[in-house]
Order: sequence, then structure tokens, then C-alpha cells
Amino acid sequence: MARESFDKEVQFLRMLALAGGAYSRQQFADRLGISVHTYDKTLRYIKDMRTALSSEAAEDLAEGLRYNHYESADPLLLFLFRSKSLKDSESVRLAVLIGLMQGEAMTAKELLDACSDSMPSDYACPDEKTVRGDLKYLEEVGVIRRMDGGRPYRYRADIDLIDRLADEELLDLYDYVDVMANTQVPAVQGYLLRDTLKKALTRRGYGPETFDVHLYKYHYHTRILDEAHLYTIFEAIREHRKLTFLYLSPKKGKNYASKNTNPLFERETEGRVETALPLRVVYDHQYGRWYLIGHSPRLGTMKYRLEGITQIEMGEAVDAETFGRRLEAVEQELEHSWVTDSHRRVKIRVRFYNPGRAGANFVRERVEAQGQWGVLTDESDTTFLYEIEVNGIYEIKPWLRSFGSSCEVLEPAWLRRELIAEWKEIQAYYEPVRENL
Amino acid sequence: MNPFEKIFNYQILSRLDEADSIALTTHERSWLKTMLEHPASDDAFAAGTLSKLRDLLRNEDSIDSRAYIIQKAKSRERQVYHPLLRPLRRMIQEGSGIRLTTRLKHGGVQANQNGLPVKLEYNMVKREWYLLWYNARGLMSSKLQHIVSAKPLPLPPERFEDLRSRAFALLEERRTHAVIEIVREYNAELSRILYAFSCFDKTVSYDENLDLYQIRVSCLADESEFLLSKIRFLGRRVRIVEGEQLRRRMRESAAWTLARYEGTPDSQPAPQPPGDAGSAS
Repeated sequence: MARESFDKEVQFLRMLALAGGAYSRQQFADRLGISVHTYDKTLRYIKDMRTALSSEAAEDLAEGLRYNHYESADPLLLFLFRSKSLKDSESVRLAVLIGLMQGEAMTAKELLDACSDSMPSDYACPDEKTVRGDLKYLEEVGVIRRMDGGRPYRYRADIDLIDRLADEELLDLYDYVDVMANTQVPAVQGYLLRDTLKKALTRRGYGPETFDVHLYKYHYHTRILDEAHLYTIFEAIREHRKLTFLYLSPKKGKNYASKNTNPLFERETEGRVETALPLRVVYDHQYGRWYLIGHSPRLGTMKYRLEGITQIEMGEAVDAETFGRRLEAVEQELEHSWVTDSHRRVKIRVRFYNPGRAGANFVRERVEAQGQWGVLTDESDTTFLYEIEVNGIYEIKPWLRSFGSSCEVLEPAWLRRELIAEWKEIQAYYEPVRENL
Repeated sequence: MNPFEKIFNYQILSRLDEADSIALTTHERSWLKTMLEHPASDDAFAAGTLSKLRDLLRNEDSIDSRAYIIQKAKSRERQVYHPLLRPLRRMIQEGSGIRLTTRLKHGGVQANQNGLPVKLEYNMVKREWYLLWYNARGLMSSKLQHIVSAKPLPLPPERFEDLRSRAFALLEERRTHAVIEIVREYNAELSRILYAFSCFDKTVSYDENLDLYQIRVSCLADESEFLLSKIRFLGRRVRIVEGEQLRRRMRESAAWTLARYEGTPDSQPAPQPPGDAGSAS
């Protein structure tokens, strides 16, 4: 898949997952800046992929990727990572070669001979050069291993991790991978491994009832789409290289007045080309979103939402000393960020109210679990205080507001006033409608 | 490690499936090696398996790039694994019944309750495991931390099917839904809002003439406090338009909160309303 078409596919899937069902074909295509024809083609491709991967009939994707937590634990969006395009003949050949090396170690020559028996009749047998090229590739990605001993080299599928485990051990491994892929970052490789282990267990006779035992409630499934960029970003960080990309800012920008602009999927022409030295990546657990933190010589510290980054390219490297200095500065800046905010530090004092009824103190538990580096002190039987120094109030405010009447901001006074004003507006949303006389 | 290797291509995968072959990559092994460094691995395996796995992975590299990720606003990780996951998952998969003894909130235990274990559920916000199980009193959700003992009970297959379908019917019955509208002047923040609701089972609709987005969220009735906390999180950006119970709760929320602020111009705590405690995580 070409790079632009890949970017489109990520955007396409994100839109299906986030705004599923909201748009007609034409609206959907407009928002992605593609033609209806491309929309149909992309959807068909995704459907083919889904059908090939799952025995169940693919539901109507145009309705959106709905996720019913009690029905399936398979990550629906993983198939993005299975979409790299490949010639039919190549996929047939690689599958045949891997199949031949499952049990025994073979030389290139032996594989070449065996291929002529194993290749489906509509595909031509590969020549020796092709087979050697394939072996080199498969060894690089770790699918096969070269055995000890001299030439001619023998190769075998590297599946000891599975073959050496007893059934029960393999089941425990599947569970562990399932839990870690769902609860930790990064996750994509884990989900791929989960697929592999699921297949290995099926081969050993485990039925479908084995696989849907765990559920993950309030999971941000789209987070794995953004992992698509991590590889390039990590490589750039490791090598201290700059990145250039077309950034489609999902934030409310200056063209706020332009009514029909869906900021999530702006057209390419609305993006801007950015160059920055990548330093860190931030994962925000509140929304399940990723940010790239970088440095731009012109603008200083920059934060980009990964979902807005397209056409990413590696650029020149900076020296280690410069990179180290920038990184140190950014780490200091982010130390007091609720997420990524680097505005002036503010001291916030909040009074939390314990729930009136007896039983577990949900308010306190939640503040303790989510309050990051803030400090709690007891105040009375019914209240406790929470103090935090944080960069700006924009990111912490929603969290404070989410507590409703269990939370009262004491300082700064202007934040207190802001919240009062907001609650008045919210209250107005729910008042019975009155006719103006 | 590039997750876009051609080896992950879906056509190769389905051909491998047909031939019952397996391809395991360095990517997957390195990821696993990294994850096995997490203390949760101690609770996940029988004695001996963990060292065997580490030995099998000794030649792989861990993923060093994890150090480049800063995680923010994460709930404290109370638990990633729990020792009871292993025995409980086996009971669920084998279709066996369960005899549970659980600790009660105010001390004491409830002993020998019989039922059917249905699912193991991890709450991503509370970062904690629960057992969903069904018994005569209905569908229950117990923290694994509160389970004192769990023993399998033999169950005839027809009885299992019967209990299981009743449990799932109950889950469906408990489903409630709400329609949340994006207040139009905040349409520019659509992305943020949709992300916030992306952890729910939901559908979105858009009326082009009115330029109006509505999100229909479906969740279990006992999750409505969490849904409310999300709605309060988003503040003025959204408004509940369907779901009388939720609308009433938002009205209360607003009134109680304003009462708090009005009641305490200085730093004295306000004596009053019940508050939005909920079990919202």
C-alpha cells in the first residue's frame, strides 16, 4: 500500500470507529477528501480483509465499527496492520515456504524441490534466487531460524515458544498476552501475538469458548490505530532525527467560523507541513489518545495529536548534545502537565465531599487513583482537601468537573468563578423549556 | 519494529491458517519478553512456566522504545493480574458451576453461594478485575479481591446452557440507552467528544441540515454513573437529550454543585446535599 493510501486507510478506520453510522457515503467521502469511488473501493478492500480473517460474515461496515463488549473480545481495528498489500503469488509462496519449514529444517535447495510439489497449480514455481530472497526476509523478521552447522544452511520455522509449551502453559500464555495487550502500551504486537496463540490453541483442539473469557470495560479501542505511527517516531527519536509531516490539526483553529468543517477529517489542503525534532510520545488515558512531543526551532516545544499526522518522513539528524538538551527541557516542562499542557504553573486547591451514605468512599478512592501527583489531606468527617501544582487549568478542569457536586474548587478564585459559570450554563441545558414572552 | 511487515498481511495469514502453519515473528517475541518484565507475570503462570518462557526468549531484545512513552492521567494500576484469573477462566471455559465465598464490604463473609461464572471483566478505569456470575439473585459482579474462595461445581450441559442463556438475557435486559447531543457551537471539538465516548457501545448520527451530531450510547443501567461522569467531564460541550433518568441526574448535579458554591463564599465546607458520589470510577 502506498503511503498516502495507508494514511487514508487509518483515517477511514478511525472515522468508522469514532463516528460510525453518522455519514452517508458522500458525506463520508467529502470529509476524508476522497471520491465516492475511492470510498467504495476502500470499504470493499476492508470487507475482503475481514472476510478472509474471520469465519463469520462481515457485518455491514458502513454502519460503523460498533463494539459490543459482551460479544467479542477481538480487537476490530487490528486488521489495519494486516493490510499491507502483497501480490497473490508472493503470499502463496511465503505461506508454502513457512509451511514446509514447520517441522523440519530444510536447505534452500530442498525447499526449491519441495515447492514444485506444494505450490498450487495456478502459480509458477519460484526460482532459486527468489527462494533465497524469501529465506533472507523470513529470517530477518524472525519467522525462521538458521540452524547451527555449516553450508548448505538449513532453516526451520522458529516456533519453539509454542511447541515447547504444554497445553495448559500455552493457555496461560494466551491469557497473559490478552491481558497485557489490552491493558498496556504499546499493544499492536501483543494483539498480533494473541492471534497467533489463538491459532496454536485451536490447532491443539481448544474450542471458541476458550477465547472470549476476558472482557475489558471502558477500553479505548481506537488507540491501536495511532500506534501505526509509533514505529517511525521511535526510530526518529532513537536516531535523533527530525520528522516532517502534513499535520491536520484536530483542534479548533482560527477557521472556527467555517461551519461545515469537520476537524477530525480535514482535507489535505487544510493541513500544514511541519518539521520537528521528536522527543517523546504521550499517551493520554483520559481519551485514549496519543501525542507527539517535539521541538521546532521556530516555535519551541510542540505537541501534535498522532491522529492528525500524515505523510510522515524522516529528516536530518541533530547532534546528541542538542537532542539531550531539548529532551531535558521537555521533560521538565511536562513534569507538571496533567497531560501535555505547558502553560504557567497554577496551584489548585479543591475540597472534595465524601459520599453521604455509608460504605466505600468512592470519591476518595477515585481521587487517590486518578489525582496524579496531587496531595490529599483530611479536613473533616465529610470532606478532604486536594492540592496540586499543575501547568495550566485546561486539562485538569474536566476531571474536576466530572466529580459534579462532590468537588468544590477553592483556589484560584478565577477558576472557581469559571466553574460556577459553566455549571449555570449546564443547569440551563436541563431546565424545562419556557416560552419567552 | 515496524508493525507493517508484509508477513502480517491478511492473505498470508489466511493461507497459513488453511495449511495449519504458524509464523511467529521477532516483533511478537520481543513484545512478550518486555511484558514478562512486568510484575504481573508472577501471578499469571504455574511454577516453572515463567522461567521456561524467559529461557525461550533469552536471545530476543526487549522493546527499548517503551522508554519514549510517557503515560498521563492514568489511574493507579491497582492490579493487572490476579491469581484467581487462572482457576476462574478454566471454570468458565469448561462450563462448570461455581461455589463462591466472598468478603462483604462491612466485614464478614458470605459463604458458599452457588452460581454460574460468566465472564472475567477488567475495568480499565478502576484498573481492577471482577467476576461476572449468575445465581438465583440475578447477575452479580464481584471484585476478585473480595473472593475468599472459588470452587468448581459440576453442572450438566443442559443446565449450563439454560443458566448461560438466562445470564445473557439479563445482561440485555439491563441495557439502557441515552442520546447525547453535541451542542452545536462545540462542533469544532467533535474529535475530542467522540474520543471521550469511544469507550462505550455507541452509534453516531449527523443531521446535515441542522449540522447536528447525536451520539446514542448503550450501556448497562449500573454504568450510568460512569456515563454521567463522562458527560460532566465534557461540560458545556454536550447535552443529554434522551434518557429521563440521566437528565434528572444532570439537573441534580448542576443544582447541588451550585448550592455548594453558593453555600461557601469562604473556606468553610458546605453542610448539605447528598452529592454526586456514585460508584463512578
